[in-house]
Amino acid sequence: MPVTAASAPLRVVIAEDTVLLREGLRRVLGDAGLEVAGTAADAERLLQLTRTLQPDVVLVDIRMPPTQTTEGLQAARQIRQQWPGTAVVVLSQHVETELLFELLADDPRGVGYVLKERVADIAQFTDAIRRVAAGESVIDPEVVSRLVARPRRGSPLETLTERERDVLALMAEGRSNQAIAGQLWMSPKTVETHVGAIFSKLRLTPAAEDHRRVLAVLAFLRH
Amino acid sequence: MSRRWQAALTAAAVAAVTGLVVVTYVPGPPEPLIGTISQAAVGLAFLLAGIAAWRRWPSSRLGLLFTITGYLWLLPSVARLPYALPFTIGNLMAPVYGAALAHLGLAWPTGRLRSRFEAGVVIADYAWNIGQSFVSMFFWNPRTNCSPGCPANLLMVDGSKSAENVLGVISAPVGLALTGIVLVLIVRHWQAARGWSRRAMVPLLWIAPAICALSVTQTVAENISLPFFNSRVGNLVLFGYAPLILLAGPALFVASTLLARTARGAVGTAIVDLESGAPPGRLRDALARALGDSTLQLAFRLPDGSGYLDTAGQAVDPARPGPGRAVTPVAESGDAVLIHDDGLEHEPQLVRLTAAAASMALEHSRLQAEVQAQLEQVSASRARIVEAGDDARRRLERDLHDGAQQRLVTLSLALGMARNRATGADPELESLLESATKEAREAIVELRELARGIHPAVLTETGLAGAIQALVERSPVATTITAVPAGRFPAPVEATAYFVVSEALTNVAKHAAARNAQVAIRKLATRVVVEVSDDGAGGAAPDAGSGLRGLADRVASVGGSLRIDSPPGCGTRLEAEIPCP
Repeated sequence: MPVTAASAPLRVVIAEDTVLLREGLRRVLGDAGLEVAGTAADAERLLQLTRTLQPDVVLVDIRMPPTQTTEGLQAARQIRQQWPGTAVVVLSQHVETELLFELLADDPRGVGYVLKERVADIAQFTDAIRRVAAGESVIDPEVVSRLVARPRRGSPLETLTERERDVLALMAEGRSNQAIAGQLWMSPKTVETHVGAIFSKLRLTPAAEDHRRVLAVLAFLRH
Repeated sequence: MSRRWQAALTAAAVAAVTGLVVVTYVPGPPEPLIGTISQAAVGLAFLLAGIAAWRRWPSSRLGLLFTITGYLWLLPSVARLPYALPFTIGNLMAPVYGAALAHLGLAWPTGRLRSRFEAGVVIADYAWNIGQSFVSMFFWNPRTNCSPGCPANLLMVDGSKSAENVLGVISAPVGLALTGIVLVLIVRHWQAARGWSRRAMVPLLWIAPAICALSVTQTVAENISLPFFNSRVGNLVLFGYAPLILLAGPALFVASTLLARTARGAVGTAIVDLESGAPPGRLRDALARALGDSTLQLAFRLPDGSGYLDTAGQAVDPARPGPGRAVTPVAESGDAVLIHDDGLEHEPQLVRLTAAAASMALEHSRLQAEVQAQLEQVSASRARIVEAGDDARRRLERDLHDGAQQRLVTLSLALGMARNRATGADPELESLLESATKEAREAIVELRELARGIHPAVLTETGLAGAIQALVERSPVATTITAVPAGRFPAPVEATAYFVVSEALTNVAKHAAARNAQVAIRKLATRVVVEVSDDGAGGAAPDAGSGLRGLADRVASVGGSLRIDSPPGCGTRLEAEIPCP
């Protein structure tokens, strides 16, 4: 994953079949200092643009013509396999985790799964794009919080403290220890302690890399 | 035969027998009582059998043959009258009934003789009996045999005993040979007969040898002088008791009547016992058993009218049923026919009953098939209605997603941009935009939930496993999936399975007060089994709420079944079986 120099703006390709939304996104991202290198209305055009433009990130709606089902998702997976230099942010209407896992299963690095309504919070949204471009995984907080809030019986999750739950949720969202520390106003050391405690309580093998951690934690939450 | 004829014939029969009894008591040589009784009994039995047979088979000669035999049997009794003419005629006609008996045996059971040869045998038998009786009368001197006072033999030419003896030695073997031929022919008739005819021949097979034995014994006794036959007791046995064997002749008629009556009963029973919806082959088998006719065929006209096929799948031609076979249409339309042994033709009642029974059974299966077809039609249309409903919901969900939802997302994006611009410039506007953004987001979430409720996109897009996972994730009761097949199934199967789990989990959350629930979906050879169980209060009744009722209807729409096991206090277990190849 090439780390983009601070000077050069991120180059983004947008794939969205609704014209108004597509143009809106173009303006928002432009205003936020990203370079929108191209836009596509369907998956085929997106793949063409990705090949020719080699963007840093593509922003893709899951549902697109012609079948309006999961073309965007398939295109995203293909892009991650064929052009590892291009990160993908998938815009979804689904809070269900099935498609999320389909997307993350290959390799969660440089992959984002963001609910569509997130675009209203422009700062958070562009932050997600930047993080994905930097090789992180980004999972929508709404999706994660639903998973964490699921009722369970006899699960080791019930033994976590409130704080540990917060840390767990942020791990599931793809945050690094650094980011978690920043968000929860803790020292990185404390975060590490919490992470260690969580892993041992959940009886998970501690994973050093963030992307492995995301998968492990999500898989645990899902089952 | 009209009632008047019947009455007349019956009167004639009674008169003939009365005549015989009266004749016995005219002054003359004493006659043992048993002789009179057997004479009268056999004669009357033949005459009555004749009337009954005539009535039962009006077009057959059997009635006539029985009647003729009866009169030929009674006629010789006129010899008891003390006059020369009746005495001569009576003695002349004495052996002729034997030829009539042979005729009857060979014509059984149809009344027709089977070939020219057999007709020849019968004619020869009559001719021989009359002829040899005539010739022997020329040499028979009554004075030497019976007590003095006998009337004269008007035909006598030579009264010497020696001529008579010589004649007897010649004629006896011929008579025996003819009897033998008749017996052999009857046995061969039985062997050749199939189906009903064979059944009808069986009683004759017992009766014919008995009568032949009597005839042989009498012939031997008349021609060979054995001490026993010449004794008073021997005479009594041979000509007093033994003729009662001839009652077997009328018994033949009684037996055949009973046989037909039993068969009629058997046909009725066969139809009653035939399970409903049995294929025509079973009907044929049942009728064949009842009629004792293994050759019975039940054939149907092909839909294109090109011919007939029997239940064994063989082509048959009712216009040419083959030798010894007859055709009876089962229904007036001629769409179905019975092809059977032609011996059955002589039991028209039995044939009519069989055809009517077959017709009823076929009509019954036809109606049943019609009801079945209607039911299938209704089931199919119900499945189509449900499927159309599913399609409509799928479209509605897509329209919501592509239309309103996208617009709301675009709107909230615009609001976000506006808020960015307003930041720092106008705090009041900023807070207004913020609350507008929040409202828009709420609207998106609500719309998403609404669309999901209308149709779960995840089911169409990823299949049962993902959709069930999604249901479990949002269930407010701790729910685990113990099994779910990964593959895809036909849309109605997936939709129904999803609906079952969705409704069941909703019920668990609403009514069961359960701590845990489990979902298991298994693919078996021909069906998908969906099972949702909980550890809650139980006591769910299928007819209590419309939820379970609707669920059962939904499962039934794809030909599946729903079982609910919910004892109070012991949780609820709901199992749906959905047909799936």
